Amino acid sequence: MSPTVPSWYGVGASVLLVAMAVFVVVREHLGLGREVLVAAVRAAVQLVAIGGLLLLLFRHTGLIGALAWVTVMVLLAGRVAGGRARGLPGATRVATIAIAGGVFATVGVLLVAHVIDTSGRVVIPVAGMVVTGAMQGASLTLQRMRDEATTARRQVEARLALGLAAPDAFGPHLRTALRTALIPAIDGTKVVGLISLPGATVGLLLAGVNPLTAIRYQVVVMYMLLGAAAVAAVLAGRLALRTMFDDAHRLRT
Amino acid sequence: MTQPECRRIRPVGDNVGVLTLEDVVVERGSARVLDGVCAQFLPGRCTAVAGPSGAGKSTLLRLLDRLEEPTSGRVLLQGRPLPSYDVLEVRRRVGLVQQVPVLLGETVLADLRVGRPGLTEDEARSFLTRAGLGDQPLDRRTESLSGGEAQRLCLARALAVGPEVLLLDEPTSALDAVAAKSVERVVQSLVADGLTAVLVSHDLRQARRLADDVVVLRGGRVEEAGAAAESAYLAGAS
Repeated sequence: MSPTVPSWYGVGASVLLVAMAVFVVVREHLGLGREVLVAAVRAAVQLVAIGGLLLLLFRHTGLIGALAWVTVMVLLAGRVAGGRARGLPGATRVATIAIAGGVFATVGVLLVAHVIDTSGRVVIPVAGMVVTGAMQGASLTLQRMRDEATTARRQVEARLALGLAAPDAFGPHLRTALRTALIPAIDGTKVVGLISLPGATVGLLLAGVNPLTAIRYQVVVMYMLLGAAAVAAVLAGRLALRTMFDDAHRLRT
Repeated sequence: MTQPECRRIRPVGDNVGVLTLEDVVVERGSARVLDGVCAQFLPGRCTAVAGPSGAGKSTLLRLLDRLEEPTSGRVLLQGRPLPSYDVLEVRRRVGLVQQVPVLLGETVLADLRVGRPGLTEDEARSFLTRAGLGDQPLDRRTESLSGGEAQRLCLARALAVGPEVLLLDEPTSALDAVAAKSVERVVQSLVADGLTAVLVSHDLRQARRLADDVVVLRGGRVEEAGAAAESAYLAGAS
């Protein structure tokens, strides 16, 4: 195995870093010593559990297991994004469907075009990144729509009173929400490599892969994050428009 | 269960109200915002909806545009219940001008076109003239309009859709006296031209100046309904 991957002894030695963090926060009386310890233990337990689970999935279940795992990720991401947009009717349901749509479209393209292969070892980490991108797109869209429904209520009602249908009355605000939601993904794509070296590249470089090979993966990752965020944001926006208004084109929130 | 008898604004004979409320109740939680309201808004007349704060005036106005739904009772447009129409048609036939002017376009022309995208420049000018803004260039930025000009642009924008009734929700309460007068003059001339108007106002003198009829609400009930000139409530404004 490559010497660049730490052995269990190396992981044990890195506990020294936790001790260092505890030493600093205790010395500075920040009252965070306990929290640092809890966070460190949680991280280790969670990652070991996930590692074990992934090992099981990779060895025994193939694509079906991978898709089941992706489904769990989508459901969790939907809850997180929905929670962020609390106050918007049906936020969790809308977010979950939007994220699922973004992930399905993106991973679907990658699989159909044979960009990635169908083994769990590949599908799960790739889908994990896609879910994160889609979650961010859906979450930001829904948060902004909820805020616009409150701050721009007068404008929306003024358009409704002129006889505009709900999608037209909210249209300018939906566009604002979508622009806001997609800016992080677009900016991230612009500066990648210059300011940030993303996880996938770092991982491949650490594992000893040639940099020109490592960046090939990263190009695909950036494009899929962009695609997932865009699809999820637009789906979230369109679906939320239906739940925000009732049949008589009135704001519910 | 017996229905309380609806009190008419006045004996109307065959004259059907453009808009009619029949025993309308609106409940919010345990509170009754409107409690068995009957009222008629007659064609070509300005009816003021008056009464103290919290009497349900604005709720009544929103019912007429289906921005709210009654808990029970009916709202009729030309004798037919509102839900029997396409709601978008109702809102085109019943225009609403809000308390605070809300501008929706970057320029005067763009603002006028929000409710009627195909509006020509000539049509736009004629609506501006009716709203007392005949001297305004169509490409003027709406952000540079004064409060009174903005509210009159909102009136012109509502007129451009071609409503049969105009609902005015405290249209001058956010304006200074001079601007308020300019809006009042426009409302007067529109009613004189035959438009039906429903004016919510807490300014009793304004209600007396503008309205032919009045419906006085108190605690969600109709306290008084009839000719504005004979109203005891409006007479309280000296």
